[in-house]
Amino acid sequence: MDLRDKPTGLDRLRRSEVGRSIWRAPDRATPRDRAAGHWSNFFLHIYPVKMQRREIGIRYSWYLGAMSTVLFGSLVASGIYLMFFYVPSPVQAYSNIQSIQTEVAFGQYIRNVHRWSAHLMVLIVAAHMARVFYRGAYKKPKEFNWVIGVVLLALTLLMSFTGYLLPWDQLAYWAVTVGTEMAAYVPFIGDTVREILLGGTTVGSATLLRFYVLHVAVLPTLIVLTLSIHLWRWRKDAMLEIDREEPDV
Amino acid sequence: MSDQTRNDDPVIVDGHRVLGVVPAKPPGGDRKEPKEQDLVFVWPHLLVRHAVSAMAILLIVLLISVFFDAPLKEIANPTITPNPEKAPWYFAALQELLAHFHPLVAGVLVPGALVIGLVALPYIDRSEYLQPRHRRIAVVTFSIFLAIWILLTIIGFAFRGPNWGWVWPWIEWHGEL
Repeated sequence: MDLRDKPTGLDRLRRSEVGRSIWRAPDRATPRDRAAGHWSNFFLHIYPVKMQRREIGIRYSWYLGAMSTVLFGSLVASGIYLMFFYVPSPVQAYSNIQSIQTEVAFGQYIRNVHRWSAHLMVLIVAAHMARVFYRGAYKKPKEFNWVIGVVLLALTLLMSFTGYLLPWDQLAYWAVTVGTEMAAYVPFIGDTVREILLGGTTVGSATLLRFYVLHVAVLPTLIVLTLSIHLWRWRKDAMLEIDREEPDV
Repeated sequence: MSDQTRNDDPVIVDGHRVLGVVPAKPPGGDRKEPKEQDLVFVWPHLLVRHAVSAMAILLIVLLISVFFDAPLKEIANPTITPNPEKAPWYFAALQELLAHFHPLVAGVLVPGALVIGLVALPYIDRSEYLQPRHRRIAVVTFSIFLAIWILLTIIGFAFRGPNWGWVWPWIEWHGEL
């Protein structure tokens, strides 16, 4: 945005009575105006107003965190569409997937988007963690945000794993059988944990319902909550860094 | 930062002429080299980059989805166990470990130590250096673990066939996504 002599139509709209009620900080001329405009915008409030030049370049972050968030958004959107056509019972689940692929408008395509977004998200969240490690971004004062990131990685894996069962095909059934058998190796509580997960001793209708509820309600809520804390702390820490580097700002 | 230089301009500030005696500019001009620590506005500098990366990753997903369909096998059948029985690819490293070590080691000790190690990492590595060349031990340790994990994942995903025996993926393919 340049400093302009002539206000544009949008500038005039922002300065009108209604515009002021919407934007709160209507002027866009000086850097101070721009900071105020950023600060009063709901969609921008998850970002700090200013950052160091080195932190915004591709070599710093590769934008992997932003990409993970975008993939989560893609998963929510495609997942909600799929929910309209899916019932989590062993009798219906498989034929629901078949009709999604053959009868539902764009069903096959949306299912593809959901599946590939999920695999990519696991990859990119892991890559995000590695990138954060190599640039030392877990150091003071961001130690706890790294811990929250580890929680988010675990939630992402659980999200992917619970979703894996839902098509109720041979691939899903046996992958979940093998995966939950691993949980049973934990001494003392392993078998109990597995039975709570499965709702029985083998993968069955109770398992499908449990994984479905975890997949569409419990885990997404936890991810949104944890991700909010993750981003909130990221913004706070970015501003803290500014304070440390330039005490006059 | 363009805003800064504009504000520092001694003749015109925000369209108003400033009267007064000002020191002459140095012969080389007062242009500053942009520094890495310089503060820049997130909007537009970071947001434009985030928008481009968002569109790039979405384009990748949308293109993959055009060319590759999500897999769907026969309906689940508890009486027919496929061989090999494979966990999803992100658990392939664990499954590979389980083939070599006692379940208590491969299924509990190793993954437990990894999770605890990851959580504790920022509290163990207290050095203030950020650049990899100043923190060799941390970087080498992490890289070794990461490399082993990636290797085990690839082996478990693509190089294991019936009865968890070794196969060459270009001859027999048993990986499932």
